[in-house]
Amino acid sequence: MKYGFNLAWRLFKHEAKRGELTIILFAIVLSVAAVLSLSLFSERLQSALTAKSAEFIAADRLLESGKPVDPAWIDKAKEMGLQTTQQVYARSMVFGNEQMTLTSLRAAASGYPLKGELKTSTELFGLGDVTDSLPGPGEAWAESLLLQKLGLKLGDKIEVGDKEFNLTRIITDVPDSGFSVFGGNPKVLIGINDLAATNITGPGSRIDYTYFFVGENSDLDDYYQWLRPQLDREIHDWESVEDDDSRLGRSVGRAEQYFLLASLLAIVLAAVSIAVAAQRYSQRHYDPVAIMKTLGASKKLVQRVYLYQITFITILGILLGTLVGFVIQHLVVLAVADKVTVSLDVWHWRPLIIAVFTGTICAVLFSLYPLLKLFSVPPLRVLRRDLGAGMSSRVLQFSATGTAILLLMWAYSQNLKISLILFVSGIVLVSALLIITYGLIAVGRKLGQGKMGAWQLAWARIRRRAMDNSVQLISFSVTIMLLLVVLVMRNDMVSQWQDQLPQGTPNYFMSNITEQQRPALNEHFNQLGVKTDVFYPVVRARFVSINDETIRTAVTKEDEKKDDGRNGLGREANLTWSNQLQKENKIIAGQWLDKWQEGDDFGVSVEERIAERLNIKLNDKLTFNIGSEVITVTVTSLRSVNWQTMQPNFFFVLQPEAMEAFLPTYITSFHVATDNKAKIAELMQPFSSVTLFDVDARINQLREIVDQVSVAVEFILVLVLIAGSLVLIAQVQASMDERLQELAILRTLGAKGSLIRASVIYEFLIIGAVAGLMAAFANELTLYLLQSQIFQMQGKLHFEYWLIAPLVGAITVGLLGAAGCWRLLTLNTSQLLRKMV
Amino acid sequence: MTTTPNVMIETKQITKVVSTSEGELQILQPISFNVKEGESVAIVGASGSGKSTLLSLLAGLDQVSDGEILLAGSPLHSMDEEQRARIRGEKVGFIFQSFMLVQSLTALENIMLPAEIAGMDNAKQLGQQILEKVGLGHRGNHYPNQLSGGEQQRVAIARAFITKPKILFADEPTGNLDAANSEKVESLLFELNRNSDTTLVLVTHDPVLAKHCQRQLNMQAGVLTEITEQNTQTAQQQAG
Repeated sequence: MKYGFNLAWRLFKHEAKRGELTIILFAIVLSVAAVLSLSLFSERLQSALTAKSAEFIAADRLLESGKPVDPAWIDKAKEMGLQTTQQVYARSMVFGNEQMTLTSLRAAASGYPLKGELKTSTELFGLGDVTDSLPGPGEAWAESLLLQKLGLKLGDKIEVGDKEFNLTRIITDVPDSGFSVFGGNPKVLIGINDLAATNITGPGSRIDYTYFFVGENSDLDDYYQWLRPQLDREIHDWESVEDDDSRLGRSVGRAEQYFLLASLLAIVLAAVSIAVAAQRYSQRHYDPVAIMKTLGASKKLVQRVYLYQITFITILGILLGTLVGFVIQHLVVLAVADKVTVSLDVWHWRPLIIAVFTGTICAVLFSLYPLLKLFSVPPLRVLRRDLGAGMSSRVLQFSATGTAILLLMWAYSQNLKISLILFVSGIVLVSALLIITYGLIAVGRKLGQGKMGAWQLAWARIRRRAMDNSVQLISFSVTIMLLLVVLVMRNDMVSQWQDQLPQGTPNYFMSNITEQQRPALNEHFNQLGVKTDVFYPVVRARFVSINDETIRTAVTKEDEKKDDGRNGLGREANLTWSNQLQKENKIIAGQWLDKWQEGDDFGVSVEERIAERLNIKLNDKLTFNIGSEVITVTVTSLRSVNWQTMQPNFFFVLQPEAMEAFLPTYITSFHVATDNKAKIAELMQPFSSVTLFDVDARINQLREIVDQVSVAVEFILVLVLIAGSLVLIAQVQASMDERLQELAILRTLGAKGSLIRASVIYEFLIIGAVAGLMAAFANELTLYLLQSQIFQMQGKLHFEYWLIAPLVGAITVGLLGAAGCWRLLTLNTSQLLRKMV
Repeated sequence: MTTTPNVMIETKQITKVVSTSEGELQILQPISFNVKEGESVAIVGASGSGKSTLLSLLAGLDQVSDGEILLAGSPLHSMDEEQRARIRGEKVGFIFQSFMLVQSLTALENIMLPAEIAGMDNAKQLGQQILEKVGLGHRGNHYPNQLSGGEQQRVAIARAFITKPKILFADEPTGNLDAANSEKVESLLFELNRNSDTTLVLVTHDPVLAKHCQRQLNMQAGVLTEITEQNTQTAQQQAG
């Protein structure tokens, strides 16, 4: 027992000193460092992004309620160390300047907003400044829209219910205002203590109580656990940023998936490199094992010696890897510091545990099979050097490795789907490569004939070492494929984000444009150099029935909620009509509106989610009230709508002929740069009745987040690329050692350095090109599955990589091979021979 | 099963058959011979004649296809690999043509290896002593690839003797060495052999080396014959 330990320690010490453990140690260090730095960075980044996203709900968690909650709940939250505040929402008429309009009233308690910033201004549509305060007693703040609608100015009085307020500031930005293009009614903010005096909260009024909570995640979770049994699903709704189905929520969610993917790929990379290194390690120890056995060592002793050794290597690898990984992620955090603020103070244990776990599992599982082979080396090898390990089963090796990788990915991601996608792609790639390898042998047999030039030597070597090469080819291909997946995924994702918000995205929307105003408005805008978008006709209607079944409160529950844009469908609906399908709209059932013919029913196309919510099916008859008129239309199609686009989208698009009798108003949008805001007053001045929605601040906020996420994704990509390149280098290095003997023989036989070098380079070029090409195919499969199944993106083919990947593969692997070969050829023949011993 | 005390190796009709892609190949025809304790025996023969195979069977590195081998009284033919390993550790020393030193252990550690495997406590001390004996006392901390071929073989000899084995098997011990080194290694080998009264079985091409042994056996196409005065000439020619 003791001797096993001593011998293992001695071997370990010497081999480490002599650099013989470099490859396997490097593989473990790399895997631990990559997994640690990636997951630590992404964990920190996610906290940073979540914190940032929290601003969009003005808290970490929300409790929405149809009626005031038991004050004990709030006391409990405070007791559990959470910060809380509350806000009451109401739809209320506001009177001012002898006119009235419906507003979205918010009565905020002190502390609001717990996250994010409230901005106010003293100018209509002006740029706001951050404020810490809230309206004082008797004061109200309102959005420009209200002042515009009622023709008010600061200092004027407005009435909300029974109470009069002094209009003291203009709200420009509320953190939790949602992402709807049409924020609906203008917001009016008052202090919560003034609410009672308005007397608008009586029975029958539409009131929504929101309680905000901020604190440590664990505390928040604990609180929710305590609270959950007391919640009534009918009136209460607990929300976090993660539940956010907005554009931002999705972007952050997608970025998180990407980080997870990158970390998973890092694990696979690590596994591949450890598997290759362990195989190499085991082969190098065939002789010592044979010697020990010859000298009388029992199998048990040999096993002990090598299990100890692997343990030492693993421990050292994990220690070094942790150190390196920590330093890398620290550097990355510093590098992105000016773009994303990621706190280095918070220490996350999970990534460290994952990294150590990965290192251990990889080292143990992937060296298991090579070790078993090593243990079976017969002592007779001391006399017959050609004798290798007694056991050999590729099937066993591949299935053991594959299962280990799958389990590791699953354990880490806790997402079977994403793990299976990567795994299946891997299997397809490996099978294809095995077929290719045998194909190469056949081709090589033909090509390798004739005079022994560098090409012939290269082919001959590929052919002869087909099985060894297949392992190498697989590891190169998997590495290149993983790099491609991370690279292309990032390109697709970032470009899609940028496509959503291209420069010049409309940041102002106008509604209530009358038929008469339309040409004049268009001309006025043109004169001022501002381009308006499509004018969508809109008629406000009341949704009455589906197939004669009257719509009840159940389907209009959304009315009770605060203005929430697209989710909010009340009995009031905006109807539009068109013969043309709007962009980013897709028919998912039925047919888009055909040309109407006399005697036909009028058609309507319904957005899929509202259809699902209201249980609307194809051919259902929907009835709307428009003023005193009633119109019934038949559902001819269901549409999916990309709500991520900054354009007006509609639940109901009707046949134009159905609406001929009604006078519409129009909605359109335009873009004015943020620093050119002053122009707005001039633009709007002749059209006081037109309602303007300012979404500039929203768009800027969104863009900021998307930019930050993009930068983070970029860095993750760089990290994975570096890790992957290192793995490639290690692989070439390992395979170079295997070629040592042959080089020495060729050299001894007097082959010119140039011939040897050229043959090795050609060999690596061929392997690199094949690996690159296969990786490009596998990449398409993986990406298609990932994008369609996980990222909810539209998959597309990336033909350019079918060319780039083999080229880059050939060049990279070829260059690395050349570098390795150059090193060997600088040695003279006797050094070369000696190195072989 | 017992054997006469002064017989170290006793073989009865041992054969070795291996399967190849072209069917079974009999490498050794039935061989029976004995080696007495303290005796030195050289097995000579052309390459491929089966002499190394015979050595591997005698030393318990490989299993006979048929027949019996008793090594210092232990029936190798009926033992499994683990039992044979134990016998090798207790009673056998080895010297190989390609030295077979563990590259990542120093000269001293290589020498200590069998002693440590056998669980001897004073392995280091013994190793140092024997290292001095083979004239490499100052090279104990060198790795094999820092030593010349002759030095490596001397380390191997030291390793073979450290456990004072009853029997020593040497496979072409001077095969990889030049004349001067061969001579040094030879004299060292026989000197240690004499001093420790070890039985020596040596496989070689080298007639000079073979001549140093008390007995010489000739292996030809798997058939072993004793070389007497009369057929020495023929054997030498074949071995050469």
